[in-house]
Amino acid sequence: MTWSIAAPAVTAAFLASIVEVVEAFTIVLAVATLRGWRPAAWGTTAGLALLAGIILLLGPLLDRVPIHSLQLAIGILLLLFGMGWLRKASLRAAGIIPLHDEDAIFAAETAQLGQRTRHQQSNLDWVAGITALKAVLLEGLEVVFIVIAVGAGRGLLLPASLGALAACALVLAAGAMLHRPLSRVPENTLKFGVGVMLSAFGVFWTGEGLGIAWPGQDLALLLFVALFLAAGLVGASLARRVSVEVVQ
Amino acid sequence: MTVLKEVVAELITMFVAERRLTIAVLGVVTVAGCLANFTDLDPLVAGTMMLLGCLILLIESVWRSAKASTT
Repeated sequence: MTWSIAAPAVTAAFLASIVEVVEAFTIVLAVATLRGWRPAAWGTTAGLALLAGIILLLGPLLDRVPIHSLQLAIGILLLLFGMGWLRKASLRAAGIIPLHDEDAIFAAETAQLGQRTRHQQSNLDWVAGITALKAVLLEGLEVVFIVIAVGAGRGLLLPASLGALAACALVLAAGAMLHRPLSRVPENTLKFGVGVMLSAFGVFWTGEGLGIAWPGQDLALLLFVALFLAAGLVGASLARRVSVEVVQ
Repeated sequence: MTVLKEVVAELITMFVAERRLTIAVLGVVTVAGCLANFTDLDPLVAGTMMLLGCLILLIESVWRSAKASTT
């Protein structure tokens, strides 16, 4: 394991997990605020159990896939996922689409859940629990994909998982102390950074999967990170200019 | 069933953030793969073309979305 590839993998898993866990935490907190911690806890536990089941089911299959095919498949998925994040983060940075607002999402989720529970009086805790389960499962799936994607290509699953677990622990500790949505987390900056890293990993793995020997091997990843960062910034700057021209 | 549907929909949107960008990226990767494996071209040149293609597609997608949102 070399640090030039382990460090970006762990950092990407850590930062991406912070974003996803913050989003899941906001919804679980809305459930707990409206219906108490019991449905929030069982929904979260069930979501985590489902995620663990998916990992246990699919994890061993990864070892059976030839390394080049695995790198190619994961590389392409990473490219699509990472460039999607980077595109959205650039548009948010340019003010074209609104920033992710955890306070607003918390308020909307609480109102929506309140409305839903009024219509289904008999199953209030059930509806609340399912909402928490869905949030944990959907955001958790993204974390699982990122950990597998940045870790599986070079046997870095354990360090990437530790990065994700550290992020979970950090968000949960902050949430337990504050008891409110973590709206001060610079989510778009994190998404921008993670989008850059995932896109760079995407090009790297796809190339390796296609049999391309990158010069400098793992160090090429650092160049890819710099290029995607520059492209994201150029994109955001062009988008900002477009919106300024329209205003004028 | 609704939860399952939402999970599947979420999985699709994870990788298809914008259809045109997704198709274009897949196209660039396919062309690079063909050039690297089925022609005499140095695979590194194909890889460089893939990298540059992705960078250009990203900038174009952001610029196009900005333009579309303001018209």
